[in-house]
Amino acid sequence: MINEMLVQFAEWLYATGGSRAIEESFYLYNWIETTHVLTIMVCLGMLAFIDLRMLGYALPNVSASTIADRLNVPMMIGFALMFITGLLLFYAKPTYTNQSIWFRIKMVLLVVAFFNAIRFHRHMKASASTWCNEPRAPFNLRVSAALSLGLWAGVVTTGRLIAYDWYHCYRDLPGWLSAAAGCVAD
Amino acid sequence: MELLPFFEWAETTFLGYIGKTYGGVYATFGQSLHLMALAVLGGSVLVADLRLLNVIMKDVPSEIVIEQAHKWFRIALVIIISTGVFMAAAVAQRMYHNDFFWAKMSALLVGIIFVFAIKRPLLKGSHADLNPIVIKMVASASILVWFSVAATGRWIGFSG
Repeated sequence: MINEMLVQFAEWLYATGGSRAIEESFYLYNWIETTHVLTIMVCLGMLAFIDLRMLGYALPNVSASTIADRLNVPMMIGFALMFITGLLLFYAKPTYTNQSIWFRIKMVLLVVAFFNAIRFHRHMKASASTWCNEPRAPFNLRVSAALSLGLWAGVVTTGRLIAYDWYHCYRDLPGWLSAAAGCVAD
Repeated sequence: MELLPFFEWAETTFLGYIGKTYGGVYATFGQSLHLMALAVLGGSVLVADLRLLNVIMKDVPSEIVIEQAHKWFRIALVIIISTGVFMAAAVAQRMYHNDFFWAKMSALLVGIIFVFAIKRPLLKGSHADLNPIVIKMVASASILVWFSVAATGRWIGFSG
């Protein structure tokens, strides 16, 4: 049921002029994709430094809360641009992307990463004054930081794999994979 | 010097064979790892250069930030080059004829020379002894060079 609705929505998006204009423009589509990659450097680059600081591997002699506070703004700017360009990339190829198992896994990982980030910030705010000058964060924050790095590595990997159609609906897929990829009967 | 025979040979190597035969290995150990290392490299460049430009972490001595960021820059650069060699080996002949591949290699070479021959020696001592305009020019050039490396790298896939 939900897969049918998603397919209908994707087909409606695909038929809009904006979607066709982006996909059919060599330069526009490729520059959006290039910007998406460049924002990975900004957003995930900052995120990596915050997480590595919590784990004690980067800037251990600088207060952890200073690192988190100062790098948060450029990270969020990068995330906003990454999100906008990501939406535009989906808008350009909605029918293909909607039925990509990698895209779906990527979305799940993004949601988990979001909740992990909320948990991280909540714990950070509550306890930073007691440990922020220590080279490593307390155990629960280190777990969050390691999880964050792992989840974003997954997001990058699945994002890259969207380009590959190994498990797309026009292939011969097992039932569970077909349902997970959002395939519907013609 | 004719480089085509070298690129033809690269495709016949073990790395070339693995990358060409196993698409999953190429995509994950090549492309995804390359992108992750690019994120860390981008982070290290931005943390260092935005500090030099007085945009972030103004309350932390720039010497400390530069040293720590450079440690991660080196690690990311090694991974980028290793995964890049692996990816290029699989499609070496196509790379040889791809203009953006050569643009990226040029930008990468400029970036490496810039970091190890200009930026590092210049910033080794106390930054207070340096002209602030020179520091800002170095930081801006560094961001420009490394973002050019990333952008030209992405365009390899769009051409040829």
